[in-house]
Amino acid sequence: MVLRRLRVYVPIALYAVFLLLPFYWMLLTTFKPDADLLKTDINPFLIYHVTVSHITGLLTTTQYWQWFANTLFVAVASTVVSVFVSYITAYAIIRLRFPGSEVVSTAIFLAYIVPPAILFIPLATIIIQLHWFDQLWALVPIYATFLVPFCTWLLIGFLKNIPRELEEAARVDGASNFAIIWRIIFPIAVPGLISAAIFSFTLSWNEYLYALVYMSSSAHKTVSVGMITELIRGDRFQWGELMAGALIGVLPAVLLYFFFVEYYVAGVSGSVKE
Amino acid sequence: MTERAPFLARLDSPRVLGYLLVAPAALLLLGLLAYPLVLGVWLSLTSATLGDPGQFVGLKNYATILQDPIFRGAAGFAVLYTVCAEIGKLTLGLALALLVNQRFRGYRAARSLMLLPWVAPTVLSALAWLWLLDPQFSALSWLLIKLHLIRSNIDFLGNAWGARFSLIAVNIWRGLPYFAIGYLAGLQGIPKDLYEAAAIDGASGWQSFRRITWPLLAPITTILVAFSSIFTLTDFQLIWTMTRGGPTDSTQVFTTLAYQRAITGGQLGEGAAIAVAPIVFMIVLAFFVVRAVRER
Amino acid sequence: MSHPDRRRFLELSAAGIGGAALAGGWPATAYAAETSPFKPEKGATLQLLRWKGFVAKDDEIWAANTAKFEKATGIKVTIDSLSWPDVTPKAALAAQVGSGPDIIMGWNDDPFVYPDKLVDMSDLADYLGKAHGGYFDTARTYCYDPEVKRWVSQPIGVTGNALVYRKSYAKEAGFPEFPKDFDGMLKLARGLKKGGHPCGFSLGHAVGDANGWTHWLLWGFGAKQANPDNSVAINSPETQHALEYAKQLYETMMPGVAGWLDPNNNQAFLAGQCGLTMNGISIWVSAKDDPKLYPDTANVLPPIGPSKQHTIFNNFTSAFIFKYSKYPNAAKEYLRFMLDTAQADPWVTGMAGYVTPALKAYAELPVWTSNPNITPYRDTMAGAKFDGFNGKPGKAAAQALDEFVIVDMFADHCVNNMAAKDAIAKAEKRLATIYKR
Repeated sequence: MVLRRLRVYVPIALYAVFLLLPFYWMLLTTFKPDADLLKTDINPFLIYHVTVSHITGLLTTTQYWQWFANTLFVAVASTVVSVFVSYITAYAIIRLRFPGSEVVSTAIFLAYIVPPAILFIPLATIIIQLHWFDQLWALVPIYATFLVPFCTWLLIGFLKNIPRELEEAARVDGASNFAIIWRIIFPIAVPGLISAAIFSFTLSWNEYLYALVYMSSSAHKTVSVGMITELIRGDRFQWGELMAGALIGVLPAVLLYFFFVEYYVAGVSGSVKE
Repeated sequence: MTERAPFLARLDSPRVLGYLLVAPAALLLLGLLAYPLVLGVWLSLTSATLGDPGQFVGLKNYATILQDPIFRGAAGFAVLYTVCAEIGKLTLGLALALLVNQRFRGYRAARSLMLLPWVAPTVLSALAWLWLLDPQFSALSWLLIKLHLIRSNIDFLGNAWGARFSLIAVNIWRGLPYFAIGYLAGLQGIPKDLYEAAAIDGASGWQSFRRITWPLLAPITTILVAFSSIFTLTDFQLIWTMTRGGPTDSTQVFTTLAYQRAITGGQLGEGAAIAVAPIVFMIVLAFFVVRAVRER
Repeated sequence: MSHPDRRRFLELSAAGIGGAALAGGWPATAYAAETSPFKPEKGATLQLLRWKGFVAKDDEIWAANTAKFEKATGIKVTIDSLSWPDVTPKAALAAQVGSGPDIIMGWNDDPFVYPDKLVDMSDLADYLGKAHGGYFDTARTYCYDPEVKRWVSQPIGVTGNALVYRKSYAKEAGFPEFPKDFDGMLKLARGLKKGGHPCGFSLGHAVGDANGWTHWLLWGFGAKQANPDNSVAINSPETQHALEYAKQLYETMMPGVAGWLDPNNNQAFLAGQCGLTMNGISIWVSAKDDPKLYPDTANVLPPIGPSKQHTIFNNFTSAFIFKYSKYPNAAKEYLRFMLDTAQADPWVTGMAGYVTPALKAYAELPVWTSNPNITPYRDTMAGAKFDGFNGKPGKAAAQALDEFVIVDMFADHCVNNMAAKDAIAKAEKRLATIYKR
């Protein structure tokens, strides 16, 4: 019995240390005075003088709240848009046999391969022509380009496992395809949709390069971009504020996962069942 | 029976509805992904520099980069980085999934907390790692010295191989939750009676794993590795924040080198070629993956 | 007179000097619209992209001056700021897509990478040069394009690089005065290492620090990257000497410098571990709150090497206007205003040494002599060379700098133990490819 406990808890503890150490470091740095970071004679894992000046500094002297609101807006909007688009696309590919569905399916998978680190230059020309530059909402369709492929794949897998009898029965009752999509299948697909939503939210929340390049005014920056561009002055990094912002920035995603992790697991699980 | 206008009925036909439903995704991906990609490929076939469209030069840029030792080094490290990181993430992620698949006190908290590295913005966690691996101030070095395991601070990022393995380790740290949660999902899909039957037959834990778990996880393994390798091969932010490709270009990968050549160096054609190179590689790889997945 | 009183006294005298120098005066706010040759367009608005000030005062005073401009002219100016190394890529993107901010405060060779996209700044540069004592040499090199025979950018200044060291540790090492030549500096470095407070200079891809000292050393030995006709000139006995010296210096350095990015030397020095490094004035300013460290820290101009002249490398910042801007005249007037005495005096003074201005008149400001640790930074521009020396500023020099060719050459020899000959050959090969375009 004890052995079994050890066999679980010791590895869990090791993983916890590995995975959570940097977050503990962020916590320490948030509440430590910056000068203490440079002292090598004291224990770096403890805080000797607690300070909240980093948090207050972050929240009062920068536009952190604005960035947070921006990031939240973009993440939620791109999640809603991507999940919606992915759902209808996945349904169409899986259920509605139309010529070219195979091609579309493969193409969507291939869309994943393109690295944003270089795509952003040719994409910039297009963004400018569309007059989308420095428009915060423009990040929504831009993010959708890398969210839709994965979510579509996820939902294809999930929808594949829903028995066809449901739809056939509905059709016999005279329901249109359109009604089937929304009234019959949609409710059953909810776990898969939640998984896709969680995945999309996470990736949008963390995106950096596109937000850096296509937004320019401080009022339109996202959390990562705002912090990196405004809390680093030349060769002086405002470590306390940076780590405080990092911790606060991680909270929405953590909350989301805490409540929905079981759904996410069920969703991914459903999509890979044979 | 409800009456429907013939127009709506036609709209509802599988064919028309099918096209209608994929239209948004198609428009989006064609306009904001495929088109810039084509532009990017076109750029790689020209001598474009910043502000000057240059002229068509065919495959000259590709020839140039293949002769460039820095590019070859970057390609080599990118592949090494990906292979090592994927193996690390797969094994550690799977082990973690097996662990949290059990019911123990706090398993729910474990399942959500373990996602933190994947959930945090890369650019910020990379900064936290910079401190943890600092040559002068690393808390890790401090701890190891206090435990009398090492004599002086470890130079994590100041030499080629140290930097390379440090980056691989941080990539594994960031990506293993993604594998863990994926495998957790996969494990929950395996029927319990298979294990019971194996136990009755006297199979050991390792044998059940090899004969039941691993093969049944194969489809999800393929998908997880396929998507993750693409991300890892084209990783940018992690490496750029921690080493900027140094020391002496030892940690350059495709994307960092392409960014450096195209943006800071102004050589758009060459930078585009460096960026397109892994895409070609990945298309070939993806082709085989898609075929393998289809065959199952 | 006590220290703060003396400072105030100097500030007030400066006001008197400033007032006498130009009709605007300081802190008077009369707007010299009638005397300015730059007439803003009607209904103009401007967007400026600049790098985030290295010190908060920079951004504060710049914003205050901008507000003055807005009040006097009715022209709204939006200021966006980015981390300093991120401005170059943003500017490059703007050049590429033909749209973006009207004015960009960029770095080093930026304006030479896309000169045909930039508005001719000759009238502004001449006007300001005449009004404020002319420019230091490198300002002209970075902003006047001899190929197209015009000023492509308005010089602003540099974030100066000087040496910062611990006086007490230097004294222990036998140097109560900072050494005046390279041999002396090496001896000092060895002494510092023996005393347990070694020096540290970045050999990693630190955009500011690594380039700073390697170029200083390279040129100090009389070596150069290119010739005036842009032929590659790195392969020379002088380069060899520079590498050999660097290796000896490296052997006295702190561990891990090959992985140092820009903040590392600041941190090591402020923690009391590092006894000597090269940096902008930020280290000394950050030490202000440390009663043990601050009085023991001193800034000094880097010593002169066998080339018998100062060979400092600074990061040079200038402002350029894109041709796609709808309001180039308003942009020029804005820059004229900001670099005019009434605005620039408080800006330069408030920054206390962070930016050394390109216009010589501002070197006379009392702030430079208010503290002996600020004075060396005043002279960093006068003693400077430019990246790509002695070739032409432009795409090739910019690319060579951004690819860390010189830094990697030093690192290859010092850290990777590559023979000096081979390290030079590798750098030469890369430079040949870069300069061939």
